Amino acid sequence: MSMTDGPTPLSSAKAAQSAADREGLTTAPGASIAGRRGKKPGSLGQRWNALSRQQQWCFLIIVVVLAYLLPVINPPIITTEPGNNFGLACFDMARFALIAIGLNVVIGYAGLLDLGYVAFFAVGAYVSAMLTSPDSAFLKIPYLWTIPVAMAVTMFFGVILGIPTLRLRGDYLAIVTLGFGEIVRILATIIPAMKGQVGFQSVGHPPGTAADGNPIFTNSNGVPWYWLILTVIIIVLLLVGNLERSRVGRAWVAIREDEDAAEIMGVPTFKYKVWAFAIGASIGGLSGALFSGQVGFISNQRFDVYTSILFVAAVVLGGAGNKVGAIVGGALVSYIPLRFTAIAEYKYLIFGILLVVIMIFRSQGLFPARQKLLAYGRDAVKWMFKRDDGEHGTGAKRTTGTAQEKGAQA
Amino acid sequence: MTLLELDNVSVHYGRIQAIKDMSFTVEEGEIVSLIGANGAGKTTTMKTISGLLNPSAGSIRFAGKDITKMKAHIRVVQGISQAPEGRGVFPGMTVLENLDMGAFGRKDRSGMATDIARVFALFPRLEERQKQLGGTMSGGEQQMLAIGRALMSNPKLLLLDEPSMGLAPQFIRQIFKIITEINSQGTTVLLVEQNANQALARAHRAFVLETGEITHSGTGKELLANPAIKEAYLGVG
Repeated sequence: MSMTDGPTPLSSAKAAQSAADREGLTTAPGASIAGRRGKKPGSLGQRWNALSRQQQWCFLIIVVVLAYLLPVINPPIITTEPGNNFGLACFDMARFALIAIGLNVVIGYAGLLDLGYVAFFAVGAYVSAMLTSPDSAFLKIPYLWTIPVAMAVTMFFGVILGIPTLRLRGDYLAIVTLGFGEIVRILATIIPAMKGQVGFQSVGHPPGTAADGNPIFTNSNGVPWYWLILTVIIIVLLLVGNLERSRVGRAWVAIREDEDAAEIMGVPTFKYKVWAFAIGASIGGLSGALFSGQVGFISNQRFDVYTSILFVAAVVLGGAGNKVGAIVGGALVSYIPLRFTAIAEYKYLIFGILLVVIMIFRSQGLFPARQKLLAYGRDAVKWMFKRDDGEHGTGAKRTTGTAQEKGAQA
Repeated sequence: MTLLELDNVSVHYGRIQAIKDMSFTVEEGEIVSLIGANGAGKTTTMKTISGLLNPSAGSIRFAGKDITKMKAHIRVVQGISQAPEGRGVFPGMTVLENLDMGAFGRKDRSGMATDIARVFALFPRLEERQKQLGGTMSGGEQQMLAIGRALMSNPKLLLLDEPSMGLAPQFIRQIFKIITEINSQGTTVLLVEQNANQALARAHRAFVLETGEITHSGTGKELLANPAIKEAYLGVG
């Protein structure tokens, strides 16, 4: 996680200052100006950064344990019961969170507005259903094997969609992806093998039986599924976090900020955009496969444009470009209608209002993104200043001085 | 030695021809200026050289290699680096991160420290502001950052698209002085400008661009003295 690896520069003037001090850099007069753009003093991010590495890990472990225990504790006010089974609600929240993490790679990191993300989710769900359901004419494989297959197939679809469309930018890309979302749904309706509204019953589930002889993973009990998807989320977070901090992550941010500038900095922009699409797609497929296993029934009714828009809302709500934000945003988008069943009918209206309010008061989302982008540049700078100190202000400092003198003379 | 050679290059935007059979060369170690009015094709020429636009006809050679079909990001590795028009710094990245992005295509990490030191020596302001976000800096500072970032790939040829755009006269003089200094350190510079006075005074050679064609060429001093150019571009006459 970006938030776990120490202080984030510029999250506030103070943080920037302390980071500068720690790295032995001269204090930048501009830091305070830039810092003002960031979070308010005492914000979550700043308090987080003030913690030591050990404290951060302790906190994370507590959060993870609590997350696993959530359906068991079933906290009174938070619970969605009696309207909705809380175990199933937890699964649904986690599913949305996973989807938001995947879509966040596309929208948040690379800045590609994908309005048809449900298509990848659908492809993953269908792959899983068609390879396990007795209604399908395809060969059958164990459910767990369908998960990597679903990811591979959706990744392939991501590349197939990405290669022609990623030459487009901004609004045009959004329109094409919107179309793609519909195409998948319509194909599911008209291709006989995909069985339209009839769909696929009794999709497979992971093996294992409880002490009483019943299977652990059933359609009516969300808890084991929740634990499974939570584990998947943690693994995906670790992988995505690594990508984010790598060269790939920096390239994505550069593309998001200014695509032409990124290209002339030597970033193969097209390649990295296709990668963002493919990785985002495979995570969408993964969540689709898990969804289809849990629900046990897949038909073309579940993958409409509204669902796509909900996914985008989850990412934007949480703060595009921030993994933690994506999880919270995804969970909220799923949780609110489940908790307040009386108003579930109005969920699009409520999200609309919520989005407007959030965009006014927190235009960067609940958790604004601020990635650390320096890879080897950081080492280079450290090395340079170390050398300076070692040689009593030679090297950069001295040349700086002479340049300034030259400037003064001229 | 000829570093860059454009041979009968034409560029179209759809049906509109922005550049017509343009040919010119840039020799190693030179500062070459392209001057011209709005819409003359200056930025198009730059984008064609850096690879953001593809010519519809003609060929481009760089350091003896045909790069006509080469993608922009590979041209950077070959040694062509551009500070784009309107600066194009990454607004959400700090100065240091912007500079770091400039070295994206590089494999030699050891050379980076030297280059950051070089950039900071040329632009002390960037060193002071290394933790500031690019988008929060003044126009002049962003221009410095754009040039500094372009230098981070350690280019053989530096393309500068209107480095004086929107800057105060005092700043313009400073930027041009630094451009001369970059050149004296061994980087060839191709410069596009509306500010003909400075661009011609600093250039070894220069070309005048009108509606996609080169109409005059010569050394910077010759063109400065040319009455027609004086009248059209220098506001004298």
